[in-house]
Amino acid sequence: MKNRKRMTVVFSLTLIVLFAFTVQAQAGETYKLGLSLAITGPTSDAGDPYSKGVEDYFQYVNDMKILGDDKIECTIRDDQYKTDVTKRNFEDFLDQGIVFYLNYSTGSTLALKKDFDEEKMPTIPASFHAGNLVDSSYIFLPIASYSAQAIGLAEYVANNHKGSGTPKVAMFLHPSAFGRGPLEDVQKAVAAGLKIEIVEVVEHGKDLDNTAMLQRLKSKGVQYVIGQTIQSPVATMLKDASRLGLVAKTFGEEGKITFTGCHYTGGNDLVSLAGPAAENYYWTTSYIVTSEPGVGTDAQLALAKKYGRDEKTANSHNYANGVMVAQVAAEAILRAKAKGVKITKESLYDELLAMNGMNAFYPVTTVGPVTYSKTDKAGVDTLQMYAVKDGVFHSVGAPFIPEYTGKIK
Amino acid sequence: MSTNRWLATGNYFTSYQDEQRLFFTHLDRTILSLFLFMLFVWPLLFSLSNKYMLVLDNILIAMVAIIGLNIVTGFAGLISIGHAAFMGIGAYTLASFSRTLGDSHVIITHAWPLMIVLSGLMGAVFGAIVGLPAMRLKHLYLAIATLSFQMIFSWTINFLEFFNQGQTIAISRVFWFTGKLGRKDHYLFWYYVLLVVVILSGFMVRNLLRTRYGRCLSAVRDNDRAADAMGMHPGLTKVYAFGLAGFFAGIAGALHAYVYRGVGFESFTLHHSITLLAMAIVGGLGTLNGSFWGPTAIIALELQVETLAEHAGQILPSDWNLATALKPFSFGLVIVLFLMFEPRGIANWWRIARSYTKLWPFRY
Repeated sequence: MKNRKRMTVVFSLTLIVLFAFTVQAQAGETYKLGLSLAITGPTSDAGDPYSKGVEDYFQYVNDMKILGDDKIECTIRDDQYKTDVTKRNFEDFLDQGIVFYLNYSTGSTLALKKDFDEEKMPTIPASFHAGNLVDSSYIFLPIASYSAQAIGLAEYVANNHKGSGTPKVAMFLHPSAFGRGPLEDVQKAVAAGLKIEIVEVVEHGKDLDNTAMLQRLKSKGVQYVIGQTIQSPVATMLKDASRLGLVAKTFGEEGKITFTGCHYTGGNDLVSLAGPAAENYYWTTSYIVTSEPGVGTDAQLALAKKYGRDEKTANSHNYANGVMVAQVAAEAILRAKAKGVKITKESLYDELLAMNGMNAFYPVTTVGPVTYSKTDKAGVDTLQMYAVKDGVFHSVGAPFIPEYTGKIK
Repeated sequence: MSTNRWLATGNYFTSYQDEQRLFFTHLDRTILSLFLFMLFVWPLLFSLSNKYMLVLDNILIAMVAIIGLNIVTGFAGLISIGHAAFMGIGAYTLASFSRTLGDSHVIITHAWPLMIVLSGLMGAVFGAIVGLPAMRLKHLYLAIATLSFQMIFSWTINFLEFFNQGQTIAISRVFWFTGKLGRKDHYLFWYYVLLVVVILSGFMVRNLLRTRYGRCLSAVRDNDRAADAMGMHPGLTKVYAFGLAGFFAGIAGALHAYVYRGVGFESFTLHHSITLLAMAIVGGLGTLNGSFWGPTAIIALELQVETLAEHAGQILPSDWNLATALKPFSFGLVIVLFLMFEPRGIANWWRIARSYTKLWPFRY
């Protein structure tokens, strides 16, 4: 009787152990990723939807079993736009054994550049600052750099200027490396033959009124403004320009100023902040906008709906931004997995470098393919021009790749 | 003097020197020695992740800075809202060498103790210069003067090409007798360096307070006219208080640059000055041990709230964003609560706890 009981216990235990191992074998692997960004504090208006985009897409990958039984576990940490906290988060992620890292601000990306290289950690930041790539092998920009965007806008101005003579341009910049970055490259493009004249460079402060600045630009004959900053100063400028009757109703309208800007100057948040003054604002980015019908729009809205996001988040280009970087990371894992190699930071780095030519990645959230190589660390090179008409951004013309970015290299 | 030097009970000061002793009892000395010994030994027994080592390093850096802030604001009673800028002076002294000679130059990587002292001295010079208005200004007016320094510092760093317009200037890893420090040893190495700096700074200030210069600080804080009448020079006292505060802040800034392997403007903003002031208040203004409690409490609170926010974020709908609001909310709440209910800071709790043990074996 005693032996029988013992046998039953041993048998049950064996079954439990076997079951546990089977479950473990079926559970697949978990790949750890990390994202540190500003969900609160400065620039959180962009960081919040960005984090939701990343979170939703990885959730989608896991729910849809895109990686089979394997899962992506991406820890998202709020750094409040503080580089010291970003550094701490990155150290934490390294301790956790991440294989891919997503960073956010220009400041922290530049500050941690050496760490990424030392750790050989493939990193995609939300900052498109061209300086991120200088002396770095492991940082990959998701889309064209701010410099490429500003040059793209300058080229668009040169090609679509209606009046006679060289178009007079003012640069409206954020007082930081993020804002100043593209200036030198646009000046180089001008030196290389781009037909625009930069008559003034404005580094805005926290001004609540731009009347004096706008009047000065007007007196200098400025016809176009190229902005590389965030939405709120642009909204202030547009409101004042609108009040002064300076905003061009069509691109390059004579006697008026046409306002243009790079990725972080535009989007729905600008329309909310500037209201009707945002009309005829020209904006460039490599992302799709949900006000334009298309596969990308449908996919973005469906993803946001699936995870219960509000309308504002669903339609944010920063949500698309977050989704896109998550798509690139997931794609790199998928490709490495398909090759049967172990998922490590080294193998994912190799996969990113191989993402070109026939292997280019086409996420539906951008207007062009993502291409990386040893010499090209900017993902989507293609830009799309958008303009605000009746309170929403509509595409203007076809996607394009700025010519002068190659010429000034 | 009582025959039993181990207990405070029954001991009376019979001379001025008695009252000025560093340790009142042998027990105090033994406990502190044991505590310091533990601080040096525990990393050999337990290993902590890099994240938490960085947190510890951060606490120790803040302690050095707060020791300085306590001299000027706590002991001398002069409000300074530009302390992060003084830290920045120290950090950017190091960064200037990096910009001029290269971030891996032997002066930066090998002569780092010298660089740290030099940064402290530069902080002291700037501190003394900023302290000059203190000869004529008091209270809020002086606070505005220090705020102006913070603004001038921000502008200078943010716009001058030499300082990389505020963007990070790299500082290489340093060399020790075993060679160049690797990532694994980096934070542990700086933990020991910081610990030595904190201990030395603590003893320096403790000794300073026993000297006539130290007593001048308190006298000027309590009544500068009376201090003047007693033959002290209130103006100079204020200037050297600022100079000393700048020295410690400069050292903290240089240490920050070495630990983070870079100097960026974002680490020395007005927000950081306010945080340092909050640490000094929570720790206990005008007390040496408050300089240790404040940074520990605030940074530990920040970490705890971060963890709580992370857990809350998993439970609460993410659209609410309540979890992310916890951090600034709790920080503000702690400051307000301390100001309302314990303006003397955690140092007062420590004083109360010690007074109980001092009476032992008697109950009262």
